[in-house]
Formats: sequence, structure tokens, C-alpha cells
Amino acid sequence: MNTQTNTEVQHYLDAMREALSDLPAAEVAEIVDDAGAHVVEVAEEMGDEFTLAALTDRLGTPRAYADELRAAAGYPTPSAPASGRSSLVARFTLWSLVAGVVMAFGFAVSRGEVEELTLLVGLCATVAAVLVFRQKGLLAEVAALPETIAITDALARVQPPDVQKALATLRIFQPVWWIARALLIGAGGLVLMYRLPPVVLLAIALALLSLPAGVKAKTDRRWLWVSLPATAFALGMLLFIFGTLATRFDHYPVSSTAVSTYNGPPASDNIYVFDKDGKPLTDVYLYDEDGRPLDSSWYGCTGRDRDDNRYPRPRVVHDEQGCHEEGGVPFTVVMPTVPTTTAPSGTSPSGTSTAVPTTTAPPATPSSVVPSAPTVVTTTG
Amino acid sequence: MDTSQLLKGVLDLAVLAVLRKDDGYGYDVLRRLRQGGLDGVGDASVYGTLRRLYNAGLLTSYVVPSEEGPHRKYYSLNEPGRERLVESGKTWKSFAQALDDLLGEGA
Repeated sequence: MNTQTNTEVQHYLDAMREALSDLPAAEVAEIVDDAGAHVVEVAEEMGDEFTLAALTDRLGTPRAYADELRAAAGYPTPSAPASGRSSLVARFTLWSLVAGVVMAFGFAVSRGEVEELTLLVGLCATVAAVLVFRQKGLLAEVAALPETIAITDALARVQPPDVQKALATLRIFQPVWWIARALLIGAGGLVLMYRLPPVVLLAIALALLSLPAGVKAKTDRRWLWVSLPATAFALGMLLFIFGTLATRFDHYPVSSTAVSTYNGPPASDNIYVFDKDGKPLTDVYLYDEDGRPLDSSWYGCTGRDRDDNRYPRPRVVHDEQGCHEEGGVPFTVVMPTVPTTTAPSGTSPSGTSTAVPTTTAPPATPSSVVPSAPTVVTTTG
Repeated sequence: MDTSQLLKGVLDLAVLAVLRKDDGYGYDVLRRLRQGGLDGVGDASVYGTLRRLYNAGLLTSYVVPSEEGPHRKYYSLNEPGRERLVESGKTWKSFAQALDDLLGEGA
């Protein structure tokens, strides 16, 4: 038997072993020993005519073979043991994979928003991957879950035969994609590091594991727990990169880039507005020259962000009592009577806001807001 | 009539019967069954049946190394297996007789 036949037969036997993996190990070994010899013999009889398709034609799919053998041998059906605790584990394994795939994609696209949820899902997906590799028979249980069957059925339905054919022709590029995928994940991990440092470790692990996963997932479906999140993350990164490029090309030629790309103050900053008497104004809504709101993101104590153009934002203070939001203005300003001799006398309890109106209104720029209407806009941070 | 449904009930008996004279490994048993006229018998069903009969203590097995190809596991009838064969054979004969009578000359 040549090596090609050998590997194909080996794959067939592996799939059969997997389909029986819920049975006691000794029994599985006996069966595969026995029926495996049969499969080898059938393959040898075919000689040069041998293909995996011909073998499947003769014996049925590995799963069908295993199911028939199971029925004749009087073993319990694979769905039977999937009850109680074990089906809970199977459910966890499946849904962690689904959540992990969605999250990996969303995390890459959103550049690392919703950190806690990402960490939680990432942890669940990692545990699920470890479980599926460590626990014998778990994969069979997952495959037997009604939702798994529903999902695979739905996937088969949305993939008409011509799409499958088109995908099959792309198969020669797979190795290239596997390498690109690993690189994308690695790059993504580095880019997103500032957002969530543990992501780097996760990304590097995923990038390394994704390399063998491409080959292995074809025959050993446990590797799907690596390759699917990897693909989702890489596609998300790709989309994010294209999105960034598209935004850049969209806005670059436009003269009003400053407004288009700089859609408001940076997220961590705040804006305080004073009238001509130095009285702080609160609940001020800011717009640019086209009437677009100068929205910026703001994160309160509840973790939920607010995207609007109302300033100043409440300050988020962390102390012994935990996190609380403080309204009001943390400093006062003395309005300059003569614009050239600015007299900053602001005090800042946080110590960070030294940016009181020092050079807000140089007389050389008469278009500036201050001279015409002495409302001083300062930014802190 | 779908013979595969009929086979399910009598495969035990058929496998015991082909092992009565000579021991045989799985593929051997399969060939004998097909040569005997049971074309519809599935490969996996035969292996499953052998496993079940073996687990039920009706067969013993031994491994014979083979020069070409993988080693083969031979199955042979033991005493409980022979008893079961006689017993099931009687059941089958009376069952077949009853059905024959029911059919009469109609079939």
C-alpha cells in the first residue's frame, strides 16, 4: 500500500475512532484493531483504483460505519450518555467556541472595545479548547447536541453546491492563508496590546497554534476550537485594516481633515467652558463649523460609555470609596482683561490640568473665538 | 421486502452458523455470509455482531499475524456459543415453519 493510501485509510480510521470515542478506550481499541484491519484489507483490494471516495462508497462514511457497527454491537448511541453534567460540559464547549468566534471577530473590528467581556469569553474559549482536547468523547457529545446538528444543518443549507465548488478551488491557497492568518493575529495582538495587555499572550498562542490547526482541523475536528477563533480574529483584523485604509483615503484629499478625522477631543480629555466673566458654563453642546456635533466617548463608573457632544463631562474619580463621578468645574480662571497679558491663576486639584488659558487668544489670529466673544475654551488633560 | 430489516434479527444466528465448522476473522465471516446468499449484510454490522457475541461470551478470539497486511483476529465458537446456535436454530426453524404455513400456497 502506498503512503497516500496509507494516510487516507488512517484518516478514515481516525474519524471512525472519533465517532466511537464515547465508548470505553479498551473497547474502541479492539474495534479499531478489528474493523481497521478490514478497512485496510478493503483498501488493498482496490489497489490502484483506491480513492477515499471509492472507500467511502464501499463502506460508507466513517461515521456511518461506526454507527452501523455500534447498532449491531448493541452499544449505547452517542447521544445517550450526553445527559446531565456531561451535556452541560458539551454545551459549554460548543457555546464557548461560538462566543469565542464572535468575540474574536468583534474584538479585532472594534479595536478592543468591551474589555471585560472579551477577557471572560477568551477565558471560556480557552478552557473549552483545553477541555475538548483533554476529555475523551467530549467531541462526540458536542457533535450529538441538538444545537450542533441544527448549526451544521444551517451551514450546509446556506452553502449551495456552486459555492462549495468555488471554495474547493481556493483550497490550493490554504497554506498561504494559514501563514497570513498567523501573521494577522500576531500583528493584531501587538496593535491591541495598549488596550488589553493579556491579549498579546492570547494572540501569540493563537497565532502559533493556528499554524498546525489549518492542517489538522481537516481530520481532527478538535482543532476547530483553535482554527475558527483564529480565522474570525484574522478576518476581523483584515476588515479593520481595510476600514482604516478606506477612512484615510476617504478623508485625506478633503481640506477639512481636521474636523473629519478629529471628531472631537480625545476620549480621555475634557473641555471646560467659561463665559467672559470667568463663570463656568456647564451642559454646553459643541458643534463644528458644519453643524456636526463634536462627539467624543466618555466612560463613567458603570463602564458604559456615552457618545455625545455635551461638555464638560463629569470627572471619574477612583478613591477608597470606589469609583464615583464628580460634576462641576475643578478650577477657576480669571478672565484676561487684555488678551496679550494673560493671567492664569487656575488651581487644579488633580494636578494634571495646568492648561489654563495661557495662549488661548493671541491677537495675531483675529479669527479666533476669544476676541470677538470672550468665551474661553480650555482643554485639560 | 427490505431484507436488511430481516437480517437484523437473524444476523447473530447467521454469524454463529458460519463459525460452526471453521474459525474465521471478520472479513472471512463477511465473505462466507455473502457466499451463503446474504448479499445485503453490511460490513460494519458483521463486525459489530462479532463484537457483541464476543462480549456476550459466545465467542473466543485469537490473533494470527499475517505476512502481508495487518494481523487478523480470528473468532471461534466456544461451548456457550454452540449451545446458543442450537437453541437459536430451533427457534428459527419453528418460526420459519410458522411463516411458511401462514403463507401457504399463496407465495
